[in-house]
Amino acid sequence: MKRILSNKWHIMVFVLPTVLFFSFFVIVPIVLSAYYSLLNWTTKTKPTLEYFVGFRNYIEMFTGKGTSFPRAVGHSLLYAGASVFLQLPFSLFLALLLAKGVKAEGFYQNLYFIPVILSSVVVGQLWRKIYNNDYGLLNLFLRAINVETPKGGWLANKGTRLWATFVPVLWQYVGYHMLLMYGALKSISPDIIEAATVDGASGPTMAFHIQIPLIKPMLKVCLSFSLIGSFKLYDMVKILTDGNIGTEVPATTMYREMFKSHNFGTGSAMAMFIVAECLLFTVLLNALFRERADGRTLRERLSGLFRSAPDALPKGADRP
Amino acid sequence: MKKRTLSPGRVAIQVFLILWTVACIFPLYWLFSFSLKDNAEIFGGNVVGLPSHWIWSNYTTAWGAGKISLYLRNSVITTAATLLLTLFLSFMSSYGLLRMRWKGQKATMTYLLLGLMIPMHAALKPLLGILMDINVLSTHLGLIIPYTAFNIPMAILIISGFIGSIPYEMEEAAYIDGSGVYRTAFTIILPMMVPALVTAAIFVFLQVWNEMLMASVFVSTDNVRTLTVGIQQMFGQYQTDWGPIGAALVISTLPTLILYLCMSSQVQRSLIAGAVKG
Repeated sequence: MKRILSNKWHIMVFVLPTVLFFSFFVIVPIVLSAYYSLLNWTTKTKPTLEYFVGFRNYIEMFTGKGTSFPRAVGHSLLYAGASVFLQLPFSLFLALLLAKGVKAEGFYQNLYFIPVILSSVVVGQLWRKIYNNDYGLLNLFLRAINVETPKGGWLANKGTRLWATFVPVLWQYVGYHMLLMYGALKSISPDIIEAATVDGASGPTMAFHIQIPLIKPMLKVCLSFSLIGSFKLYDMVKILTDGNIGTEVPATTMYREMFKSHNFGTGSAMAMFIVAECLLFTVLLNALFRERADGRTLRERLSGLFRSAPDALPKGADRP
Repeated sequence: MKKRTLSPGRVAIQVFLILWTVACIFPLYWLFSFSLKDNAEIFGGNVVGLPSHWIWSNYTTAWGAGKISLYLRNSVITTAATLLLTLFLSFMSSYGLLRMRWKGQKATMTYLLLGLMIPMHAALKPLLGILMDINVLSTHLGLIIPYTAFNIPMAILIISGFIGSIPYEMEEAAYIDGSGVYRTAFTIILPMMVPALVTAAIFVFLQVWNEMLMASVFVSTDNVRTLTVGIQQMFGQYQTDWGPIGAALVISTLPTLILYLCMSSQVQRSLIAGAVKG
């Protein structure tokens, strides 16, 4: 058996096609993107070293005349904030309610997940109809209760367009985060919950001092999903507003720069910026939440804002 | 255990949960109902009720004139081929990476899983060039190839997590009986891997079926255009005619919805697999 399983020819047949395929269509393009981002490549020039400009594209995309990229990054940070401070707490709240063992808990849990599986095209187009200025559900409802509707429609009005773009995305993924948190809550040992109940913990006390500290690893996962998701945000914005001024996000701006303005160099720089942003936040989050030798995370060392799990709990209990 | 009584707290919780249920489901209900209405009803007479006449012609319009039948066919071809190719490559490489013994196993695994961190946005332009060079742009392969490449890391993550739970004794017995490596992998290990393959398949299916960015950049003819972009295309033509658009949206959602209704927990597991393992 050992001879068969360490036969070089077999290993090559099994592994090499995938490695080559992956390298050629994922890694090579990324490396090329990095290279292109250092070139002054437009319709008039070619992607050769002759047009090497160093980091000029990276500087241009932030400081160049009329560039909308800084605003797009600002929007994505705003979305990230909304996701972290509105969507995740709301999902956590739903998860805590469901985990209490309400009636029909499985039914709710299955239902809340439905928006997650729908394509952005369906969700986006549906919300466009909901937002429609003349016949949309939202405005019909508001008119019925005599509330003024925004001028020009939700997705065009200066004051509402950005949030109107964010709401459908936030709405769609509540079920996803809820399911992750709910699963983690359910895997907390019933003994711990019972012990806490005996000690008189219930409702918010139980949630803040027992349950939430215990599902911290999962909260980290949710946090990184929502942060990385916010930098990659594209589909829904494209469908809802086409990334028009006032609603642009990095990916839609990159798309325009690349395929509308044909500034391939700057577009590639934007693409690399998105990749770097995702990597940076993954690394940061890992550092922030890493369990240190003394069992305390960096975040706990940095600030006493959040309380850690009560000392009474057995070590390692927060690893379901 | 505590006895369940009808306290005000419990009622409040149920009301809250039901409200969110409505928020999740109502848009879908509205979509289904207006896909069967005409404009007069959608825009005035009967906005939220069930359609008074079920206008199935919206569906025939979307199916024929709206070219949804064509886009659906393309989506099915692209998704099915991507699924087969991804599962085949991921299974083969997972077996080679975890069951065979060689130097650089770990490094190769890390290299492949690197793909999990790379958003496909970042590869668009160079990929466009590569696909053009190998002459597959605006063919089914022009989508199948990049979809497969970008889904391999996740599929490997799911499949390799499962391979470890299969006892070595199974293979040992097979090899002692003189079974070759291919026969062992495909007739003994593969059948035991079905749960992991299903999980990976559902994940890949949803990714590919719903993908829009690559589908809009790498395809420029109706003959290969998939549903997500095709429907966008259709909106241009039927700007003011909501019925057929609704019908198109329903048709494109049905496969996913049916899959979810049949195996909801399996679908949930697939989509959170990355989070739980990662």
